[in-house]
Amino acid sequence: MSGHANDRSPSHTVTLEWPDGRTRTVAVREDETVLDGAERADIALPFGCRTGACGTCTGRLLAVDGVESEPDSGDAEDPDIGATIAYTRPPRALKDRHRAEGYVLLCLASPRADCRIAVGSSVQSELVENPWK
Amino acid sequence: MSDSHAQRGAEPEHDHEQHHEGPGYATPQAAIEEGEREKLAYVMSLYVGTDVDAPDFVAVVDLDPDSDTYCEIVDRIEMPERGDELHHFGWNACSSSCHMEGLKRRHLIVPGQRSSRIHVIDAKDRRNPELETVIEPEEVFEYDLSAPHTVHCIPDGEILISMLGDADGELPGGFLELNEDFEIEGRWEPPGEIEMNYDYWYQPRQNVMVSSEWAAPKTYYPGFDLDDVEAGKYGQKLHFWDWEDGTVEQTIDLGEEGLIPLEVRFLHTPESTHGFVGTALSSNMFHFWYDEGTNDGDGAYRAEKVIDFESREHPDWEMPVPGLTTDILISMDDRYLFGSNWLHGEVWMYDISDPSNPRRADSLSVGGTFGDVQEVQGRELNAGPQMLQLSLDGERLYWTTSLFSSWDDQFYPKESEQGSVMLKADVDPRNGRLELDEDFLVDWGECPDGPARAHEIRWPDGDCTSDVWQ
Repeated sequence: MSGHANDRSPSHTVTLEWPDGRTRTVAVREDETVLDGAERADIALPFGCRTGACGTCTGRLLAVDGVESEPDSGDAEDPDIGATIAYTRPPRALKDRHRAEGYVLLCLASPRADCRIAVGSSVQSELVENPWK
Repeated sequence: MSDSHAQRGAEPEHDHEQHHEGPGYATPQAAIEEGEREKLAYVMSLYVGTDVDAPDFVAVVDLDPDSDTYCEIVDRIEMPERGDELHHFGWNACSSSCHMEGLKRRHLIVPGQRSSRIHVIDAKDRRNPELETVIEPEEVFEYDLSAPHTVHCIPDGEILISMLGDADGELPGGFLELNEDFEIEGRWEPPGEIEMNYDYWYQPRQNVMVSSEWAAPKTYYPGFDLDDVEAGKYGQKLHFWDWEDGTVEQTIDLGEEGLIPLEVRFLHTPESTHGFVGTALSSNMFHFWYDEGTNDGDGAYRAEKVIDFESREHPDWEMPVPGLTTDILISMDDRYLFGSNWLHGEVWMYDISDPSNPRRADSLSVGGTFGDVQEVQGRELNAGPQMLQLSLDGERLYWTTSLFSSWDDQFYPKESEQGSVMLKADVDPRNGRLELDEDFLVDWGECPDGPARAHEIRWPDGDCTSDVWQ
């Protein structure tokens, strides 16, 4: 649930979920990024440039306020990424199709609601395929 | 063309007598004669883009066959932060400064390709180098540059780094200059000379530098997307610079046969204007040279495709597979061009004694999508040959298998789980032959923090991709 982790900024409960099913829950403030919040909790997430250019830190939004997301469903009931994630600068590494599919750059993303996010290095590798295969 | 080209063929301004005072070797042939056999290698080693909670590191690899730790990583210089993507690196000084009394080849400049953090390592103790200073990304971004790539020294003790993007990871890139105290001196060139950047090489006696093109960092960092090629977001040009003035004098568009020109090398002999560039996506080699008779008699550089590696059909793949010629190097005697076809799984050597007409000497089919050899000493190779390094005497060719973390994940996903390897071939330069040395294997899968990738290789005292002569 959302609340105030300290006096400065409201925080939201962000559940990080790895492909093996392991999860960690952290309170991430609105004035910090998910990556910063995870680092504060001593959780190692992948990252690279920290400027939104490289995509190494890519996660995928799975649920907002307990409502599951269905990427590409076009369902108006799907959680709205824009209302859940605020970016400190443009997430240049993500193309429009990635953003529509729920991918988020955790080095720039600050939460505006409680959410669950798929994390780990394998999420980044979903952004592109082997074009010849 | 600038008047600088009037200097072409001029006598060197310094003494090339045998007993030079500075770093390196008086001539390429002196490097062959005086350089000792490589007993150590420095190899860029990385965890970025994996779930291993550890920083990238520089591996010190034992290459002395008489040592008890032959083929082992005997030291690791860890970077202070995670997320760098160590990629290419270079020395503070090379043979181009051989006239600089007191200057030593001692410090390795090690940039983080993703982080834009630049590390300086003191390698006075060649076996146990130590991190000396760090230039933080914020200092680099102040010059509206990011994504450091190729490091060469400037002959007076300064250092020049090709930068592939602006502070946001967009275009244009440029060049960052460091002073001899490893502080940022500033932008080397006036902004706006180029859009895309990648590798560069300079030939000071000809007052020329050549640079190649990858793409904007935000384009290539996340992985390779064919849509970006179709949208013109990948490079296909070579830029020829006035080395003294830092301005582009001529740009050659290599066209569709020249997509993604990466590693670019002049011949080592300082008299030559000839060089080669590998165009990775088109999988071609271009020869470039200064043609005095062209351009209405005023002279200009020209580039011509001289080797074409055909795409190959794969029974389970939808489209023909390009070779992806991601690295090339020229032997110190300028006799051979070596290269890697990372996606096919091939290492090759071409006779370039007539640079306009390269002649295939030999090749090895090893690793990658089609390689005949898929394991060495029972170790699965999981990727193709990539970054190359050749002994100064031209008799031993080594290579690693990682290209770039996100691109590896796309084409060779097992590499992140198993790590990279370093392999070696014995070269017979007299007869133009290559032979895989199956007794040689360095395995990054055995690193204490977990499997790591391995990229560029350097020798402690100069190599075929470091040294330039003035």
